[in-house]
Amino acid sequence: MKHTISNRYPILAALIGSLLPALALAHVGQGELSGGFAAGFTHPILGLDHVVAMVAVGLWGAQLGAPAIWILPVTFPLVMAFGGLLGGLGVELPGVEIGIAASAVVLGVMVALALRPPLWVAGALVGLFAVFHGYAHGAELPESADPLAYALGFVVATGGLHLVGIAIGLIRRWPWGIPSLQAGGALIAGCGLYFLLPHLAGT
Amino acid sequence: MIVGAESRALAAGAVLGLAFGADPACAHVASAQAGAFYAGLLHPLTAPEHVLPMLALGLLAGQRGLNESQGVLLAFVVALAAGAGLAPSETAPGWISLLNVGSLVVVGVLVAAAWRWPTALLYALALGFGATHGYANGAALPPGLSPPIFMIGLSVAALLATGYGLVVSDALLRLKPNWPRVAVRVAGSWVAAVGILVLGMGGKALGAP
Repeated sequence: MKHTISNRYPILAALIGSLLPALALAHVGQGELSGGFAAGFTHPILGLDHVVAMVAVGLWGAQLGAPAIWILPVTFPLVMAFGGLLGGLGVELPGVEIGIAASAVVLGVMVALALRPPLWVAGALVGLFAVFHGYAHGAELPESADPLAYALGFVVATGGLHLVGIAIGLIRRWPWGIPSLQAGGALIAGCGLYFLLPHLAGT
Repeated sequence: MIVGAESRALAAGAVLGLAFGADPACAHVASAQAGAFYAGLLHPLTAPEHVLPMLALGLLAGQRGLNESQGVLLAFVVALAAGAGLAPSETAPGWISLLNVGSLVVVGVLVAAAWRWPTALLYALALGFGATHGYANGAALPPGLSPPIFMIGLSVAALLATGYGLVVSDALLRLKPNWPRVAVRVAGSWVAAVGILVLGMGGKALGAP
C-alpha cells in the first residue's frame, strides 16, 4: 500500500504542476488580462463573509465524507455562477446580504454540531447559499475588467477556498481533529452572526 | 494491438511535430514567415476565451480514453483550420464570440457531468466549436502575415491545447483513487462557471479577440 502511494504522488505533482503555467499566463497579460484576473481572484478572498462561508462548505463536505465531498466542489461553482448570471442580468433577489451572512451561521452550525442531513437536503441548502453568494458577486462585477479573466480569477479563488476547507477537514483523521473541526464550525457560525447582526438591526 | 496503435499515433505525432517544428527553426535562417506561425500559435494560447475550451474539450475527450477519442482532436483541428480559412479579415461578429463563450459552458458542463456521452456528440461539438473558434482566430489575422502559415500555427496551438487536456485527463483517470476523477470533473465545473459568469457580465468586450 505504502509503495503505491509514494509512486503516484510524483506523477500527480507533475500533472498539477504542469497545469500551473496556464494560470501564470494571466501574468503575461495582454494589458488588462492580468488586472482582470487579479481583480477576480481577490474579490472573493477579500470579503470575509464570503471566505468563512466558502471554507465552511469545504469543512462540511469533508465532515460528510463521500459522496458529498466530491459532489459539492463540482456543483457549487455551477450553481454560484448561475447566481452570478442572475446578478449580472439585474434580476431582483431580496435579502442577499442577509442570506450570505446567514449562510455562514447555518453552515457553521452544521459543522459545529456535525449534523448529517440527507444528501439532497445538504445539496439544496448549499445550492441556495451558492445562489446568494454568486448573485452578490454578479451584481458587483466591475465594468472595466476583462470579463473572462475576471471570471477565471473569481472561480479559481472560490474553488481554492473550498479546497482549503476540504484540506482543513482532513484533520478528522486524527482523534483530536474531530472536536477541533467542530470548534472551527462554531467559530465560523460566530463570524456569520457578527456579519448578520448589523443587517438585522439595520432593517 | 492497442500498443501498436498507440505507437503509430505517437510516430505520426512526432512526424507532424517535426514538420511543423521546422518552421520556427527557419526563423534563424531567413524566413520572415516564422512571425505568422508564432502569431497563429500564440493567438489562441494567450486568450483564455480560446485556450480554456480547448483544454476542456481535451479533458472531455480524455474521459473517453486515449484511443477512442483521438479522432475528436483531429476533427477539432480540421474544423478550426476551415473556420479560420473562411473568416474575412474583419472583427468577428458578436454571435461568434457568444458561441465561443457558450462552448465553455457546454463543454465544461459535459466534463463535470462525466457521463458516457455518445461519440457523435463529441464529434459534433469538436466540429461546431472548432469552426467558431477558428473563425474568431482567423478574423484576427494581423495584416501582412501569410494566412496559410498563420493557420498552421493556429492548428498546432489547437492540437497542443486539446492534446494536453486529453493526456492529462486520461492519465488522471487511469489512477486508482477516486479523487483524480473528481478533479477532472471539478475542472469542467470551473470552466463552465467561468463561461456562465461571462454571460452574466453581458458578454461585453468579447468582440475584441
